[in-house]
Amino acid sequence: MAIVTNAQSQWQFTCGLEVDFGSEENASIIYATLAIDKELQPDKVKRQMKVSEGKLSVNFEATEARFLRASFSAFVDVLILATKTIEEFGQGIEL
Amino acid sequence: MNKKMIALGFEGSANKIGVGVVTLDGTILSNPRHTYITPPGQGFLPRETAQHHLQHIIPLVKSALETAQITPKEIDCICYTKGPGMGAPLQVSAIVVRVLSQLWKKPIVAVNHCVAHIEMGRIVTGADDPVVLYVSGGNTQVIAYSEGRYRIFGETIDIAVGNCLDRFARVLTLSNDPSPGYNIEQLAKKGEKFIDLPYVVKGMDVSFSGILSYIEATAIEKLKTNECTPADLCYSLQETLFAMLVEITERAMAHCDTKDVLIVGGVGCNERLQEMMRTMCSERGGRLFATDDRYCIDNGAMIAYTGLLEFAHGASTPLEDTTFTQRFRTDEVKAIWREANIQKI
Repeated sequence: MAIVTNAQSQWQFTCGLEVDFGSEENASIIYATLAIDKELQPDKVKRQMKVSEGKLSVNFEATEARFLRASFSAFVDVLILATKTIEEFGQGIEL
Repeated sequence: MNKKMIALGFEGSANKIGVGVVTLDGTILSNPRHTYITPPGQGFLPRETAQHHLQHIIPLVKSALETAQITPKEIDCICYTKGPGMGAPLQVSAIVVRVLSQLWKKPIVAVNHCVAHIEMGRIVTGADDPVVLYVSGGNTQVIAYSEGRYRIFGETIDIAVGNCLDRFARVLTLSNDPSPGYNIEQLAKKGEKFIDLPYVVKGMDVSFSGILSYIEATAIEKLKTNECTPADLCYSLQETLFAMLVEITERAMAHCDTKDVLIVGGVGCNERLQEMMRTMCSERGGRLFATDDRYCIDNGAMIAYTGLLEFAHGASTPLEDTTFTQRFRTDEVKAIWREANIQKI
């Protein structure tokens, strides 16, 4: 029991976001792109992602607020980059 | 069958972000890049550099495709720098490449940055099997090909030669535009007095950090008392550092029994370094191969070309393995395209 309580309090800083891509294909591309890079400090920050109905849901858990902020901020930067890349090159450019 | 293979390459391991389009014979169809230039006295840091790359990468892809006049359909593979370099800037290229690979259904090839410099230098200059001096802001290595890999014969045991020059430029608050090393080179031409500096060659290796500490301290002192000018210091620093590089290159040449030298990497555009190396080569009856800033300085085409060489010999990187790494040594790569050459002979 003690361990469970410890484990719960250790990951007390959490944060989530959901992005609706309106397309299962695009959401899956983003998922596959971002899932490759693991969290750099898995003992301090955990990240879980899933895709359903064209939506990407991401959940962060961290041991301290500053780790949560750093991971979340870096993640949002690359999420935006990946999304912009799809917007720019997904359609319009003739294959 | 007659169609030439085409690769799109991404480089973003340091303060340059570049996208290039090349064919397998080494023709560069486009090679735009953008450099993150910091104010005088300041270096570039990973986070800010990554932000710079984030802003410029998509316009660069468009520009590269437009200039090359190709559509994504014509591309055979997409290549990116896996490492070595700064983590956050490397990630920018990796992310875009992963998305494009899925959108366009094209294979990915992960490329070692150092090997890319060597291959670009070889195709541009026509040097077949030279001793390579790879000198830049992040790397200093003497390399030669042997039994399937590029082997490191000598290297820096602390900071890179370019890092030493860049950081000294910060002490003098020289401009970082177009690069601190270029401005040191220009100032060094006006130097008249040689100031003795430590000369640190340890066997096949070199060390620069002690020289930097020494000259940083000396600069403050001697400039205050007007014993020398900033130009004298730049001149003395260049002469000392480059003499060390020429010495270890010459030793590698003797070891490999090779007469040709190829200089690659950002510091490789320094004309004084080229001149000193050329003198040494001609004394040994060899040739110096060097390139200018278009190919020496980090660019997307070198990544595209090296990735395409690998791809043409059957290699590619599965999506889930398209990671990036700050440490990735030159000799970790199997130079499969060079083995194939041996079999042909």
